[in-house]
Amino acid sequence: MPQLEQVEFFISQLFWLGVFFVILFSVLTYITLPKIRAFLNQRDDFVKSHISKQDELIKKAESIIENYEAKLKEAKNQASEIINDAKDKALQESETLIKATEEKIQQEIRQTEERVTKEKDLAISELNVQLKDSATNFISKVTKIEKGNITI
Amino acid sequence: MAKGESPLKQFEIQPIIDINLFGLDISFTNSALWMTVTTAFILIFFTAPFLKSKKTNSVSDLYPSRMQVAAELGFSFINSLLNDTVGKEGKKYFSLVFTLFMFILFGNLFGMIPYSFTFTSHIIVTLALAMGVFIFVTVLGFVKHGVKFFSFFVIPGLPIYMLPLLIPIEIISYLSRPISLSVRLFANMLAGHTLLKVFAGFVSALGVFGILPLVFIIALTGLEILIAFLQAYVFAILTCLYINDALHLH
Repeated sequence: MPQLEQVEFFISQLFWLGVFFVILFSVLTYITLPKIRAFLNQRDDFVKSHISKQDELIKKAESIIENYEAKLKEAKNQASEIINDAKDKALQESETLIKATEEKIQQEIRQTEERVTKEKDLAISELNVQLKDSATNFISKVTKIEKGNITI
Repeated sequence: MAKGESPLKQFEIQPIIDINLFGLDISFTNSALWMTVTTAFILIFFTAPFLKSKKTNSVSDLYPSRMQVAAELGFSFINSLLNDTVGKEGKKYFSLVFTLFMFILFGNLFGMIPYSFTFTSHIIVTLALAMGVFIFVTVLGFVKHGVKFFSFFVIPGLPIYMLPLLIPIEIISYLSRPISLSVRLFANMLAGHTLLKVFAGFVSALGVFGILPLVFIIALTGLEILIAFLQAYVFAILTCLYINDALHLH
């Protein structure tokens, strides 16, 4: 096996291995890998900055939506308030109208009652007079009979 | 493959340029050549797409090019691997795990090219990588926890009379980590390539019926590519787990 027989080349192999490994290691460490890393970082930064921009835009859109929703809610509240007010007003108006009408009716009832009692009184007094008259008439006739002969 | 050639011949190291430094033979070999190819490929593959820096002004500037996507895939793969095993503290060790994984992965994959050389099929290379990881992790454990690092070998909640038996077992299992780590990678590469070569020998030996081992080789090549990835992954994930052990002990 040449690997174990060619002992005279061991030092040469070790030497060149050391040389090339050190060259490869140093160039990779100080030139190549930093370049690759910088390239990857640049790209990552670019992508990250775009992602953060996107996040900002999303936040903006969300705030706009929130604003819109708040305004919509406000408008709805206002609308329901207006409706309630209108309902209350209408209710009040109809109540006052009903009350006024009831009062009017009551008044008319009272007036009519007054008139009726008045007429009643008048009629009674007239009747009284008539009764008195007829009574006196009757009495005078009776007394005439007592005094003299009956002339009927 | 010439007749009588060993299937292990592909693992032979051939010097390309003889170099001698302070009496040490550090010849540039075919192994070193493929390490060069691997290193250069990884550096170009991962660096080139990101050299042109453009400002991101619009969404269309964000679209990565195809090469950037491919490189990014490797990056995020190791990133998630470290995140899953070590967690947030793992970021510090990212470049180590990344280098290990890519070096082994592309070393394995380039080894699949015919007439190429797989440097990860050499025990000395994988052992060096594994020892590097082992020493790094041990030093990391001592730096993080000091002497308390030795409590790693004591399993909590065990009766005291079991400790004399279990502490040596724990220590041995800890010390055998670099061996298992290196032998796993080395043996997988060695076995796969040897098997391919053996069956490739059957193709010419069987004549017309050589189509059967040829079909087998094609399927096996697919499997070997999977193993090339899998072994790199195993090496990387075990490194992550060792780092996690060093950071959190139990």
